[in-house]
Amino acid sequence: MSDAILVEDLQVRYRSKKGRWIEAVKGLSFQVAPGEVVGFLGPNGAGKSSTLKALMGFVAPNSGRCEIFGISAGTLAAKSRIGYLPEVAMYYPYLNPVETLMLYGELQGLGGKKLKEETHHLLEVVGLKDAKKKLNKSLSKGMLQRVGIAQSLLGDPDLLILDEVTSGLDPVGRKELRHLLLERKNAGATLFFSSHELSEVDMLCDRILLINQGKMVEERLMAPLKDELRNYSIAFRGQAPLHDLTQDLDAQGEIHRARFQTKDALMQAVARVQAAGGELVDIVSQEGSLEDYFINTIERAA
Amino acid sequence: MFARVKTYKALARGVVLESIRRKDLWVVAILGFLILIGSGALGFFGVDGMQVFVKDLAVTVLGAFSTIVAVMTSTRLLPEEIKQRTLYPLLARPISRLDLLIGKLAGAIAVTWLAFFLLASLTSVALLSFHVRFEAIMVQYMVAKMMGLALMCAFGVMLSVYMTPSAAATTAFVFTFGSSILIRAMTSAYEVASPGMQFVFKFINAILPQFTLFDMGGRAANVGWDPVPMWVMAFLLVYLVIYGSGLVTIAWTRFNRRAL
Repeated sequence: MSDAILVEDLQVRYRSKKGRWIEAVKGLSFQVAPGEVVGFLGPNGAGKSSTLKALMGFVAPNSGRCEIFGISAGTLAAKSRIGYLPEVAMYYPYLNPVETLMLYGELQGLGGKKLKEETHHLLEVVGLKDAKKKLNKSLSKGMLQRVGIAQSLLGDPDLLILDEVTSGLDPVGRKELRHLLLERKNAGATLFFSSHELSEVDMLCDRILLINQGKMVEERLMAPLKDELRNYSIAFRGQAPLHDLTQDLDAQGEIHRARFQTKDALMQAVARVQAAGGELVDIVSQEGSLEDYFINTIERAA
Repeated sequence: MFARVKTYKALARGVVLESIRRKDLWVVAILGFLILIGSGALGFFGVDGMQVFVKDLAVTVLGAFSTIVAVMTSTRLLPEEIKQRTLYPLLARPISRLDLLIGKLAGAIAVTWLAFFLLASLTSVALLSFHVRFEAIMVQYMVAKMMGLALMCAFGVMLSVYMTPSAAATTAFVFTFGSSILIRAMTSAYEVASPGMQFVFKFINAILPQFTLFDMGGRAANVGWDPVPMWVMAFLLVYLVIYGSGLVTIAWTRFNRRAL
């Protein structure tokens, strides 16, 4: 079975207004399997949008290969399987959301009663039931983002490519979007999205790709990464020899606190405290910060 | 083929709907209304022998305003799509850039023709109020004008791919309004030019779209003139198809390679 996305040694260059060539993507390679949810992360200017544009055929790669389900990216056959949400979603100001979706639906090859029903259903799903007859120019940024999300879901695409998916959405909107995307994931769709909202990435992704300055920095599965980032700590009264397990030790009055990187170290520490006759006050297993991981990794790579 | 036509229809409908709601056509309607009132006033005072003058004035105004609509609509369509970023969700659909170009051109032509119909209807009412007979040549003038407007739209879209919207509009105005002056100047220069330069003038004359070919205003303004033979109209249609396709191809050559 072909990969949902295949990017091989992709290079994208732009000519700046001053005539200089800027390398936005420098030999990027990765694959996304069908049904996978992959977060595409990186700081501003890392080359995320350029990569997504190459996948959509908006820019021609200077070298390398991009394929969607085994079909060359940018072709009509490839685009017919994609739902795409651009980074800054703008829609015709003098059309309303229904007309906007009908227009995109017709371009997708849909039509008739089915398209009408799907349009109204999607606008309801994204929470625009009451605003579907208002002109786009009178909608807020968040509402326009919802129009964008609805249009990307038209025709039930096999692959969703979403650029800055949570942009402009309030917390309620984000939660609804998460729910919607998880529904698509459960229905077997592949999701590939860029976002600066690491909490969304944390909750949705099976895998993350971290890029910086047009190059791949790290490619990680979320489950092991979360385990790796998890922090463990204990608080206890009494004395126990823990210096070989951690250096992160402190004391407040008679309470000692020790923090560990791994679950094994924590278990050993608990056993030693008990063996030494100490009294365990607290055991904490805390999720690590994806944000810290992101910043540290990017800094290391730079 | 049917899917393509559906695509063009959807794109063109979007352009027309936007144009109507943006009230672009209201300006045309108001101008037409002013023509109507002006002509009505002349008719009311019963100025004798003014029929030719009024007809001439009517076709000039009709030609000028519809040209303005054609140029302004066609030169701003694609740059606006790029500037407002509405292009991305469109091109993310299974349509090619050529499809988009043709669909947008169809929209520009539809808006221009709509404006022309509006103006022509009001002008016709004005002429009738002036007891001017509606002759066959007048119908031919309108059909030829509509073909000319379609060619202007193709020219405007082509220029907008290569230039900024204001530069494209200015250039389009120079070539549409100044077409007859340009050709007259070239004809005069041709007579005194060297053989080499004569070839250059011939070449320029052949490649530039001749908008004046579609203007039968002078003929239509006169009273009692016969209609032109049908082969002339057929020739105009063939000319429009050849030059229109050529202009779309030139636009597509650039637009297709453009990084968005």
